[in-house]
Amino acid sequence: MFRTIVRKEIAANLLSYKFAIVILLASVLISTSLFVMGRDYRSRLADYQLIRPKPGEPIAVLPPHPLSVFAKGLEDAMTRSFEIETIGIDARTGRSSANAVFAFFPAPDFVYVVKVVLSLVALLFGFDLVSREREAGTLKLALANPVSRATLLAGKWTGNFLSVAVPFLLVSGLGLALLALVPGFHWSGPMLGRLALILGASLAYIALFLSLGLFVSAMTRRSSTSLVVLLLLWALFVFILPNLGTLLARQVVDLPSVKAMAEKRQQIWTREVLLSISERGSRDARIKAMNEEFDRLEEDYRLRFDRLVRLSKILNRISPAAAYVYAATEVAGTGIGEESRLKEEVIRYKNQALAGLSRDRTAPSAPAFVYRYRTVGEVLAAGGLFDLAWLVVFALALFAAGFAAFLRTDVR
Amino acid sequence: MLGLIALKEIRNHLLSFRFLAVFVLLLVFVPATVLILTNDAVRQQDDYSRRQAEIESYLFRYAHFNRLGGVVQPSQPPVPFLALVRGLTADPNLGSFDDDPLPIMFPLVDLTFIVAVLLSLAALIFSYDAVSGEREDGTLKLILTNGVRRATVLFGKILGGAAALFLPFLTAMSAGLIVILLNPRIAWRGSDWGALAGILAGAFVYLGVFVGLGILVSSRHSSSSASILTSLFVWVLAVLVVPNLSPYVASLLKPTPSTISVGREVARLTDIERDELGRKLSAERRAAVLRENPVLEGVERMGEGEIQAAIGRDPVFAKAYAIFRKESEAAWTEANRIQNAKAEVLRGDLRRREEAQTKLALALSMASPFASFTYLAADLSNTGMRNNLHFGRLSAAFWTSYGEYARKKMGEMRAANPTVDLWNTAVDVRDMPRFVYKEEALASRFKAAVVPFLLLAGLALAVFVASVLSFNRADVR
Repeated sequence: MFRTIVRKEIAANLLSYKFAIVILLASVLISTSLFVMGRDYRSRLADYQLIRPKPGEPIAVLPPHPLSVFAKGLEDAMTRSFEIETIGIDARTGRSSANAVFAFFPAPDFVYVVKVVLSLVALLFGFDLVSREREAGTLKLALANPVSRATLLAGKWTGNFLSVAVPFLLVSGLGLALLALVPGFHWSGPMLGRLALILGASLAYIALFLSLGLFVSAMTRRSSTSLVVLLLLWALFVFILPNLGTLLARQVVDLPSVKAMAEKRQQIWTREVLLSISERGSRDARIKAMNEEFDRLEEDYRLRFDRLVRLSKILNRISPAAAYVYAATEVAGTGIGEESRLKEEVIRYKNQALAGLSRDRTAPSAPAFVYRYRTVGEVLAAGGLFDLAWLVVFALALFAAGFAAFLRTDVR
Repeated sequence: MLGLIALKEIRNHLLSFRFLAVFVLLLVFVPATVLILTNDAVRQQDDYSRRQAEIESYLFRYAHFNRLGGVVQPSQPPVPFLALVRGLTADPNLGSFDDDPLPIMFPLVDLTFIVAVLLSLAALIFSYDAVSGEREDGTLKLILTNGVRRATVLFGKILGGAAALFLPFLTAMSAGLIVILLNPRIAWRGSDWGALAGILAGAFVYLGVFVGLGILVSSRHSSSSASILTSLFVWVLAVLVVPNLSPYVASLLKPTPSTISVGREVARLTDIERDELGRKLSAERRAAVLRENPVLEGVERMGEGEIQAAIGRDPVFAKAYAIFRKESEAAWTEANRIQNAKAEVLRGDLRRREEAQTKLALALSMASPFASFTYLAADLSNTGMRNNLHFGRLSAAFWTSYGEYARKKMGEMRAANPTVDLWNTAVDVRDMPRFVYKEEALASRFKAAVVPFLLLAGLALAVFVASVLSFNRADVR
């Protein structure tokens, strides 16, 4: 019976206008996004060939990460060029800093398409799961057969989930195949594993919104009401909550502004230059004192910033969209956790390079910077698993609530 | 008749569930957002005044011309409008190691965003079944059996839908403005209210586009459920996709050279290579002076004290030494000029390409009403690209006056002591000109907002004409 219901749902969906338009939207967006971001990756790769440090240069630059095509995350911050100088780390930004339009709108990567568009698609499949059949009068006919409400609901959910998930996976697969044609793009085994994990998180995220649709649909009598509620909830979850959460966290954590940090450094530098002139011969001692003070400032700033990141994570996770973004970007190696870790490594590299940095800047002899991305296991242990589990638990809870509401529904 | 239809539409909406839902949501989230933004703006104001005080205290204690320019760099003070609109003011500052990349992950929510996303969605929710719903109910043909023209019915519906949308929006906005008015630290002036009026006018036209779109789609579809799907399809593309894709497409079509490699090359030209050239030039010029003035014999090995003594003792030496110093400084000025000119070629090329790319990205993105409205709001509120340019001009003016001041001050220092190290001596700069940020005049901001406003208005008009045309041809049965 379960399979009959699933088959009926899929067949009904396949013939609908909804399916046609939604699949059109998803395929156009996913393929456009992968194409554009793939080309962007290629040009960043070409840039990297220009800027990669020559042997001995005290510069730390990471090559662009292939998975940033899927989840851009903080890639722009991570692929900066960190140049070690006697007075600290000079960070140079890549191209996206030049064009202010980049700063106005978030990157249209795969994760963005799933976060915004696929969640909407899932809602559109879920909003009339129960109410449409009730309106059409077929719900009571279906239940006149010897089928339990649980089977009926599970069958409907599965049928609709497959109607979204299968085309989604097909289109993603097609996009991947196209990406493989981009020169310079190499797939490795572990990378495919990470990608599979991102796709898994995306499916959990889609399932969550389908369950949300099911829940609201079972709670409301008319499908138009259910749609209104769902669209507003969607805007809240996807756009408003995660972004307000970060701002709210800023009001709790006392973090100096980036401008204040930059000015502080200039001031300390100025002071030490003047002092080193008035006390002749103290130049090296002064530079050392200055670097120590910079390090202290830096450490204090990082501590506070980490606190801000932790708090904003807790607040933002109220929204499943934020949990999904956290999970996907961390798995892709472009998340905020990876970025903090990279910074720690750059600081360690700075101390190492400064010790051997010769006065003669034309013949540098620093060790090469080596960075090892966290393994998937480490990412999962550092919070990725929590985000994934949170998505699944959220989805299950919504399904259970939908089921409870459906049990008490008058199907006439 | 128009009034009657509009009134009926408004009554219908007022009693509907969707009106209630939108109203409650806006009434909760607009004031909440404004409250959070206001507190954040106050925090930024505190931070700014703390930083300015810090700079003053450093100027008082440690000023010297070698590093002074680094300390007095102009910075943008928080504008009062931050309580409503954020535009580009979220500063990840990726150019520094102490950055703040959180806004890249989760862009800020502000009034622009709420209007542009939440309210445009609400506009579709109010209008998607305006025609198809009545057709399904069978009331559309009943209305048209009265002596009423189709255009009148449509305008009535548009008016009704717009009124039903603006009522909750304006109520929520007023609640938000009360939050701002009640905060003694946020002092809005006349120009801010003027800019707000401009932004609200833009919002009305922007939302008009979506009300019109909903009605247009609704008169082309026979069922409301198909109508909402098509409306959402267009909405997703226009609001959530086109603006985001545009900078990437622009960077593919008009690529710029790698900023990192240009930056490194500029740094090398103006630092290492400049030092080499400066040493070479000044050695040449000093040798020439030494040849002509034998009295200076051995001056390069003399200490500061010995030179002072010689100048006091021997007027010929003093005169020759002045020439010696002048030539040496001139050599370094020459080296700076040559190397800066080389660097400027690179920088100028990069800047031109970047500007071309930005222009293309702007033009592409303005195909989307969302982008047009975002730019309009950001420019009117002094938080957008226009303000960045304005700030750049103010900074350039400041650096000019700073340069004049530095020359004058150094002249005074030299007059007092001819051998003084102009760059590395503590100096009292309390009389230095300070950077003052002045907001751009409201009139020129309005002038900048004309283009996006006209684009929005044109789009709204096109959508309305299209909806009248397609409603005229619709089968109402």
